[in-house]
Amino acid sequence: MKKKVLGILLTLAVTVAFAAGCGGQNPSEVQEQTENTQGETGAAQEEKDSVIVAMGTTSEPESGFDPAYGWGAGEHVHEPLIQSTLTVTTTDLKIDYDLATDMQVSEDGMTWTVKIRDDVKFTDGEALSAQDVAFTYNTVKENSSVNDFTMLKEAVALDETTVEFHMERPYSIWPYTMAIVGIVPEHAYSAAYGENPIGSGRYIMKQWDKGQQIIFEANPDYYGDAPKMKQVTILFMDEDAAYAAAMAGQVDLAYTSASYSDQTIDGYALLAYETVDNRGFNLPAVSVSTDAQGNQVGNDFTSDVQVRRAINIGIDREEMIANVLNGYGTAAYSICDKMPWYNEEARVSYDPEGAAELLDQAGWTVGADGIREKDGVQAKLNILYASGDSVRQALAADTQNQLKKLGIEVTIEGVGWDTAYTRALGEPLMWGWGAHTPMELYNIYHTLDNGTAEYSPYSNETVDKYMDEALKATSLEESYDLWKKAQWDGTTGVIQEGDIPWIWLCNIDHLYWANENLKVAEQKLHPHGHGWSIVNNVDQWEWQ
Amino acid sequence: MRRWNGRMTAVVLFAAAVIFLAAVTAAGFGFSEEALVTDFSRKNLEPGGAYLFGTDWLGRDMFVRTLTGLSMSIRIGLLSAGVSSVLAMLLGTMAAVMGKTVDSVITWVIDLIMGIPHILLLILISYACGKGFKGVVIGVALTHWTSLARLIRGEVLQLKEALYIRMAQKLGMSRWKIVWKHMLPHLFPQFLVGLILTFPHAILHEASITFLGFGLPPEQPAIGIILSESMQYLAMGRWWLALFPGLLLVLTVILFDVAGESLQKLLDPGSAHK
Repeated sequence: MKKKVLGILLTLAVTVAFAAGCGGQNPSEVQEQTENTQGETGAAQEEKDSVIVAMGTTSEPESGFDPAYGWGAGEHVHEPLIQSTLTVTTTDLKIDYDLATDMQVSEDGMTWTVKIRDDVKFTDGEALSAQDVAFTYNTVKENSSVNDFTMLKEAVALDETTVEFHMERPYSIWPYTMAIVGIVPEHAYSAAYGENPIGSGRYIMKQWDKGQQIIFEANPDYYGDAPKMKQVTILFMDEDAAYAAAMAGQVDLAYTSASYSDQTIDGYALLAYETVDNRGFNLPAVSVSTDAQGNQVGNDFTSDVQVRRAINIGIDREEMIANVLNGYGTAAYSICDKMPWYNEEARVSYDPEGAAELLDQAGWTVGADGIREKDGVQAKLNILYASGDSVRQALAADTQNQLKKLGIEVTIEGVGWDTAYTRALGEPLMWGWGAHTPMELYNIYHTLDNGTAEYSPYSNETVDKYMDEALKATSLEESYDLWKKAQWDGTTGVIQEGDIPWIWLCNIDHLYWANENLKVAEQKLHPHGHGWSIVNNVDQWEWQ
Repeated sequence: MRRWNGRMTAVVLFAAAVIFLAAVTAAGFGFSEEALVTDFSRKNLEPGGAYLFGTDWLGRDMFVRTLTGLSMSIRIGLLSAGVSSVLAMLLGTMAAVMGKTVDSVITWVIDLIMGIPHILLLILISYACGKGFKGVVIGVALTHWTSLARLIRGEVLQLKEALYIRMAQKLGMSRWKIVWKHMLPHLFPQFLVGLILTFPHAILHEASITFLGFGLPPEQPAIGIILSESMQYLAMGRWWLALFPGLLLVLTVILFDVAGESLQKLLDPGSAHK
């Protein structure tokens, strides 16, 4: 028996040592890297022009740096750094030009004509022409595994500097798509492009040690302002390893999360950037039925619009942000807060009495056990969240506590993404959204061919109509107005006074430990995904 | 008065272990509601008078959570070890009694299951059964019977040659009657000890696959979940999230071991005079 006890203790000891080893492994590799970098720059020590950034392990692009497989244009959008794009989004999320010098759209919205610069070279010395642009777009349309390009029919190069996009349907927000698609060279594109990317952007990919780091070097022939940071090293590590690396002074900037925000690291400042990386849950807006596969669709409690309205004003978002995010977040009222297409009317204030009144009026009366009920239906919700995401779990738990005060009984359940999408059709799920394109609104609220929205049962013909019109608009300004009307036009929409099929809780600040002497350039509102957005403008960062 | 002896120590140890484990299991039932309560006004508290084991980042009382988690572990262990030992008993006896073909098939299955790393097979079965309580129990039950089955098969093979069994055969008793009347009573001590010694395995494996994310869902108070969550917070200095639940898990496993060993001493005629 002693042997067994000893065995158990040894096993534990080994486990602990192993865990410690996992955490400690990366920083030591970083150490080497840091030394190498310092060795190389050596004499230029006083004028440091390199930076080491730690990102999460999921930020490493699985399929490399090919826009067709999600680089820049994936689930989490960002500027592709290695490649140039036709347009860029500005800090206030409007559109500016990168490669493009002019763009025109035809009256019917079916043809986009874009003029590009004639002085741009790929890093292998070949000139970038309109043929490369057309090739890129036809390739991503054909191959993109992550983004929707079905609105594009084909791209045609008219001459060396003019490219024409023929559309399948009007798509007024095409400039936002053009801001994330990096232009690849037709002459050097193959299946292996992702690992050996050639572009015309600010940086050249020098080295990629899979699972560890990527090293970028400034492109000496870049057509724009020369990057101030000559070398950028991106390390991929878990949150606790990134924290340890910052504590050891091995990285210049490390991503972190709200749960670390009460810590301090000598020589580092905690940077918080506002985002449109929102969290919220859906409330199925139809009564229960069963679909062909036997899944529950709809929910008898949340199909009552008064219930959805009561929940929306019955949640104290500020308290939630203080509780769950240690204050590092902003209240969210829509999927696109602070974007040019955001309708301010979505804003509500916390009003528990008003919420209770709404429920009372709708006939949801408090029963003996403190839970409301109406016609035999109990006011019960089961809120799902992605297991393994501690922030979403905490948001769900806080929602549970807050709704209890309203007489709504909430249970929470962690689920995997394999079942989450189907179950969300009948139960609320804690989602994360937020991108630099109004298409997010369309994806959430617009009905599909089967007459209901994709992620949570809901439909409103007027909302659909505004969004269809927005896509047909001839200018972005005009489309912004229509996107706003889709949210609320004065009589109907998706906000508190309207159908409110989704409850938005907060936008999560993206937090970073940054070396005190590092001056990070002004950031645009980060989209969903705590990854590459921070280095969108790494070329403008400076050391003080 | 009788002199204190090894057998009495064994009785005391056995009783103490059983009482402690029963108390933990019962406490878990009593706290099952409370273990799920989150309260952000008391998050990240260090261990102290009000919260013996401290609280976590959702303000959950870790003492309550640990007890409930252990209780759930013990229940899972009991259920899966029970199923597993009965399976072992059945298959072990069948292999030994029902002739060559059955024996080679069962031995083959035992070798097959033993040949695959436990944890891998467990994850596979648990995942296929939809994870959760059901998945874990089925997974543990289906993977832990092999060594006991092998032991029992060997025991029965030996028994078959025993004089009293051969006499019974000559007297014309049927094969199954012999098994029932003469063999099972003889095998019972092995079975019981095997059953108890399977518990710690079952509990540790439940904790491991839950730790790896293939077991119970994360809002459940289970030891594996508590430990895997605590990993993230160690770097922030929240040592109490891992330490106390870990220690209690080790204690529980050791107590099961103590109970099993004591019982073996009590049942084994060889140690009757110690």
